[in-house]
Amino acid sequence: MVRNLISMISRGIIFGALLSVAPALAQSIAEKVEVCAGCHGQDGKPKDKTIPVIWGQQAGYIYIQLRDYKRGDRKNETMQPIVSSFEKDDMRAIAEYFAKKPWPNLGQPRSPKHVAQRALSAEHSVGCTGCHLEQFQGDGTTPRLAGQSQEYLAKTIADFRTRARGNNPGMTDLMRATSPDDLAALAEYLAGL
Amino acid sequence: MDRYSIACATLFGLGCTLAASSHAQEVVNPDQWSPPREAKISPVTQDQLNTADKNTTNFLLTNGNYAQTRFYPAKQINRDNVKNLHVAWIFQTQVKESLETSPIVVDGVMYVTTSFSHVYAIDAKTGEQLWHYSHKMGPVTTYCCGPNNRGVQVLGDKVYLATLDAKLLALNAKTGDVVWNTDIADPELGYSETMAPTVVKDKVLIGTNGGEYGIRGFVRAYDAKTGKLVWNFDTIPENTVGVWATKDATGRDMHRDIQAEKDQLAKIGDPYKRLGGGVWQNPAVDLATNRIYFVVGNPSPDLDGAPRPGDNLYTDSLVSLDLDTGKFVCHFQYIAHDVWDLDAASPPVLVDVKDKSGKTIPGVIHAGKTGHIYVHDRKDCSLIRFSEAMVPQENMWTLPTKEGARMLPGANGGVEWSPIATDPGQDLAYAINLHQPMHYRVENSPYPNGKLWLGGAFTAIPGEKQSGNITAVNYNTGKIKWQVKTPEPMIGGILATAGGLVFAGEGNGKFAAYNSSTGKELWSFRAGAGVNAPPSSYMVGGKQYIVVGAGGNTQVNFRRGNNIIAFTLD
Repeated sequence: MVRNLISMISRGIIFGALLSVAPALAQSIAEKVEVCAGCHGQDGKPKDKTIPVIWGQQAGYIYIQLRDYKRGDRKNETMQPIVSSFEKDDMRAIAEYFAKKPWPNLGQPRSPKHVAQRALSAEHSVGCTGCHLEQFQGDGTTPRLAGQSQEYLAKTIADFRTRARGNNPGMTDLMRATSPDDLAALAEYLAGL
Repeated sequence: MDRYSIACATLFGLGCTLAASSHAQEVVNPDQWSPPREAKISPVTQDQLNTADKNTTNFLLTNGNYAQTRFYPAKQINRDNVKNLHVAWIFQTQVKESLETSPIVVDGVMYVTTSFSHVYAIDAKTGEQLWHYSHKMGPVTTYCCGPNNRGVQVLGDKVYLATLDAKLLALNAKTGDVVWNTDIADPELGYSETMAPTVVKDKVLIGTNGGEYGIRGFVRAYDAKTGKLVWNFDTIPENTVGVWATKDATGRDMHRDIQAEKDQLAKIGDPYKRLGGGVWQNPAVDLATNRIYFVVGNPSPDLDGAPRPGDNLYTDSLVSLDLDTGKFVCHFQYIAHDVWDLDAASPPVLVDVKDKSGKTIPGVIHAGKTGHIYVHDRKDCSLIRFSEAMVPQENMWTLPTKEGARMLPGANGGVEWSPIATDPGQDLAYAINLHQPMHYRVENSPYPNGKLWLGGAFTAIPGEKQSGNITAVNYNTGKIKWQVKTPEPMIGGILATAGGLVFAGEGNGKFAAYNSSTGKELWSFRAGAGVNAPPSSYMVGGKQYIVVGAGGNTQVNFRRGNNIIAFTLD
């Protein structure tokens, strides 16, 4: 992530973003979110696969993550400076903006049968669909997982397990209750949906 | 066409109709091409509601009547002819997701709800849609166990609905138009609504979900005409310590370290502000004494007792209040300082019961996730007896560990939120149960600002067989009279009728009728999706119908569908 930050600074993205957010109300949402494309992709496909797809993501989830970056509940050297000047209405509008975009097809392959079986067995044990719903599309403040980048899913799972991502201890608990091999299968399976 | 789509079509053209349906699980079903029709019902009076237990035409309350017996007094469909029961109609909703609705029927008009808080008015004779209310959900919804809705209630000319984004609405019963809309609580703090309101004497009674999110639970009464708050009862009082109970309601040691808890209490103070205590299901109303009875769910966080020393009152408890004022009357706690989420969710039922001396008194019964049916004295909430266990119990009460401790029942029960039915003529209570062996694990983490706060995890044990059952319990003896085993865990609800029958569905799509005295299966139907909703019954045009939702279940991940299915005889 530090590498990304340096890269963004060198491209003037963050500086530009901070300038562009200052007169927040005077700008359109489209202008406010220009900076996001630098990492999350002009077409919704992030170049760095450890960065999440946010096009078509659930609005409630995006809003809560922006809120948590601002509060410091979720830590990220790139995101926290960007959201620091956002107000609640900005964050909700940005969330709605990206939620209405089409989910991009990352072209990730379907997982092989043995991987899918392992993933579904783990899902059955933990009960992922109780929140992420039957097709893993998410809802409200629960994110869509289907078709998300496999590398991002794997990284996020690892961050939950180590508590590097600390803004959802319920997920940390569930990830720590599941074996790494099962979680790797889940990441591969979900990415291929 | 639903109301929001009409507005879109008028203002912007049909291109914006999709905006009303932002939830991924909703299916397209072109009801926008059929114009809404008026639901021709007479206003529902309080007298009608008071005598719903004797009403052989309508199904007016979520659990049949204020006592919540789920005993329907008609017997046109009975043990002799139920084999001829067949589909009268199938109504497909727009929402293919977990379906937990209890259909309400008034003057031949049926009101059902779906996940994401939709409401449909349907002609109960033909299955034709009359109107559809599509709730415009706020961006933030925070809920456990599925985007469910368990139904509505009608009083006067209004239909009352509580929504996933924690609002309470009154709709025009004839048209579905919103009459008033009140914010109950902030979804960003973990509050949501899935239960049906109970409406009585111009008060709309509603609890809250959120026991998995560190809320402070409540039951509230709102003015049925205006939506203004009348009273609030915090299910978590400011002093939650209790009596340092070491044993559960059945007398088993819960292995609490009382001294450690007392030391923690001295250090952090009373944990009442984030202690959970949601109320998932409807209160029963005792019209004679003007009291209500409901059960309170688990403490937050579910599995970690460290941040919440004490008995955690009134979690895992039966509670009674005065209907007019919301003042506390009595309580009984089943599990003090619960660290297994084996809480109280199934709605209590008011029936006359035998006390310990054999005298018949007003009682209240509740089916727990523990797998017991508890029988109480309605006067002071005290426990008279508890039933034999309806599901296997092993290693109770082993404390959760970091590695995972095996214990039965699993955290869904026993009896989950599923309402029970009773047949007072047979002294029987009918409950549907889950059997899911689980590991209970504990983790410690600080309050996460309205996010999922389990304090660990309960996980189904791979390779261990799960199952379910339908159990009839004599509540005057506590003995099991009969039990039907089912291949999968059961969740949804059950209905008993004067025709000597009980009806219940399974996650594999089977919906069946059983002899209520013996448990013998007399009829069944395959719905194609999980039948995980409580059935209702009603009469229209001189014919009795049985109706049930077949939409599967999120919590136990049963196959989803979007059907309301009505059955009748020729």
